[in-house]
Amino acid sequence: MLEFNLQPETKKKATSGDLYDVVIVGAGPAGMTTAIYTSRDGLKTLILEKESVGGLAATTHLIENYPGFPDGINGMELMERFRKQAERFGTELVEFGEVVKVDPRDAGRFEVHAQGGQVYQGRTVVLATGSRPKKLGIPGEKEYYGRGLSYCATCDGPFFRDKDVIVIGAGNSGLQDGIPMLDYANHVTFLEFLPTSRAERILQDRAREHPKSTLRFNQQVTEIKGDKTVTGVVAIDRETGEEQLFPTDGVFIYVGYSPDSEFVADLVARDKWGYIHSDENMRTKVAGLYAIGDVRADNPAQLSISVGNGTRAALDIREYLLKLEAEG
Amino acid sequence: MALLNEEILQNVTEMLSDMPNAVKLVIFTKSKDCEYCPQIVQLAEEVAAVSDKVTVETHNFDAAQDEAAALNIEMAPAIAILGEKDYGLRFYGIPSGYEFSTLLHGIQKASVGISDLDESTQAFLGSLKKPVHLQVFVTPTCPYCPRAAVLAYEMATESDLVHAEVVESMEFQELATEFNVMGVPLSIVNGKERVEGAAPPEMIVKAIKAALA
Repeated sequence: MLEFNLQPETKKKATSGDLYDVVIVGAGPAGMTTAIYTSRDGLKTLILEKESVGGLAATTHLIENYPGFPDGINGMELMERFRKQAERFGTELVEFGEVVKVDPRDAGRFEVHAQGGQVYQGRTVVLATGSRPKKLGIPGEKEYYGRGLSYCATCDGPFFRDKDVIVIGAGNSGLQDGIPMLDYANHVTFLEFLPTSRAERILQDRAREHPKSTLRFNQQVTEIKGDKTVTGVVAIDRETGEEQLFPTDGVFIYVGYSPDSEFVADLVARDKWGYIHSDENMRTKVAGLYAIGDVRADNPAQLSISVGNGTRAALDIREYLLKLEAEG
Repeated sequence: MALLNEEILQNVTEMLSDMPNAVKLVIFTKSKDCEYCPQIVQLAEEVAAVSDKVTVETHNFDAAQDEAAALNIEMAPAIAILGEKDYGLRFYGIPSGYEFSTLLHGIQKASVGISDLDESTQAFLGSLKKPVHLQVFVTPTCPYCPRAAVLAYEMATESDLVHAEVVESMEFQELATEFNVMGVPLSIVNGKERVEGAAPPEMIVKAIKAALA
C-alpha cells in the first residue's frame, strides 16, 4: 500500500540578535517536550537542530511502547506531531543549525554558537542533543559505509530485497529495526556480542519464531569484508574462540549509541562515556544550563523518559527565570 | 479511491495556499514496466485539485519524445516541476512516503522562484560558470532523504546552471546499481562526486567544486 507523509519545513527565521528565554539544542522528543511547555507558558523559545526534527525516534519504523498509540505509531509521524504542537505555541525552529559552542556570559545569558557562525542568545540553555549510533571501529566499517553497510535499516533496508543481511547487535534497536526487513529480505542473521539478548521479550520472540531469521550469540564481529560492496562479516565465537566468515549482501550496525556532548565537554560534568550529569531537576552544574533525554547520564534511552525529562526541565526553567527576575 | 486522506489533503491545501506563481507538473508515464504510473498521475491530480495555481500535463514517454527531450528527461516515470520558468526540478518515480514532502517543496520552490539558502551558498552558486547536475537517490521510507532532496531543489532554484533530479531508487534499480547506491540519501554531482547522508549545503558545495575542478 502506498503511504504519503508530510514533513513541512518551517521557515521562520530565528534572528541571532534576539534574547530567547530558552534555547534548546536538539529537536528530539526531549527538546521538543521542553519547547511545548515553555512556549505554551509564554517563554520565547528557540530550538536549534543540527539535522532534521525528530532525532533517533524519527528513524524508528514503528514505536509500540509509547502510551496512547495502541496500534503503534511511525516514529517520524509522532515526531511531526511533537513539532506541530511546539510550533503551535510559538516555538521557533532552526534546522541544520549545529551548535558548536555554548558560552555562559553574565548571569542569565548564554551565547550559543552555531556552525554557520550565527550566535543565538538565551537566558537558559537546554542540552537535548541525544546520541548517535555507535560505530564498531573495525576494519571495513568506514570503507563500506553506503556500500552495503548502514546504520539505518528503515532507510536502506529496501536495497536488500531477496538478499541476505546481517544485523550486528540483537538488543532493542537491532531487533526493532531488523525485524521489518524479514518481510522482504531473503534472510536476516542477528549477531549479538552478549550470550543473550537484552531486547524486550516480544521482539526476541518475533525474531526467534520467524522462519527467515537466525540469532547467533557470543559473536564478536572483527571485520567487514567486501570488494566493491559488502560481501561478508568476520566474527569470533567468544565461547569456542572459533573465527567464522558470514557471507552477506548487507550489514546493519546496531551496537548502541554514544552521546553528543563533545561541544560542552569543558562546561559540564560528564561520565566516562560522555553522558552529561544533571540533577533530578535536570540542572547541570552551570546555573541555567540543563541536560535532558538520551544525552543525560544514567538515563535509559526511552521516548517516555525523554518526554519526562523535557517536562521536568521546563518546570524548573520557569522557577529559575522567575527567581532571576526577582533578583533583578 | 483517493490516495491522499483528508488530513494530508488539508495540510497540502494549507502549504499551497499562498503560492505567488502558477506551477505545472509535467508527467511522463510509460505503458510498460511502470507499477505506479497510474498512481503518479492520480497523485498529481489530487494535489492540483486543492490549488488553483497547480496544473497537470501528462505525456506518454514513448510517444512524446520531443517534449521529454525539451525538458532533459531521459527516463520515466518522471515529473518535471515547472514554475514561471524551468528551474530544473525533476522527480523520477512516485513521490510516496516521505518523498511526498519533496514533491510539495518542489512545487513551492518552483512557484516562489527564490531559494532559502544562506548567503555564502547563494554567492557560490551565483559564481558558477559550468552546468551542475545533482542526482539525489532516495527511498520512500527514509526520513532523512527529503532534506537532501529539498536542498538540491533549493540549489536548482537559485542557479539556472543547476539541474536537480530526485530518483526513487527502488523504481530505478538499474540506475541505482550503476551508481552503486546501497544507502540513501546519496547525492551525486555530475555523475562523479558522491555525498552520503543528509549533508549541509557546505558539503554539497565542496562536492560541486570537486566535480568542476
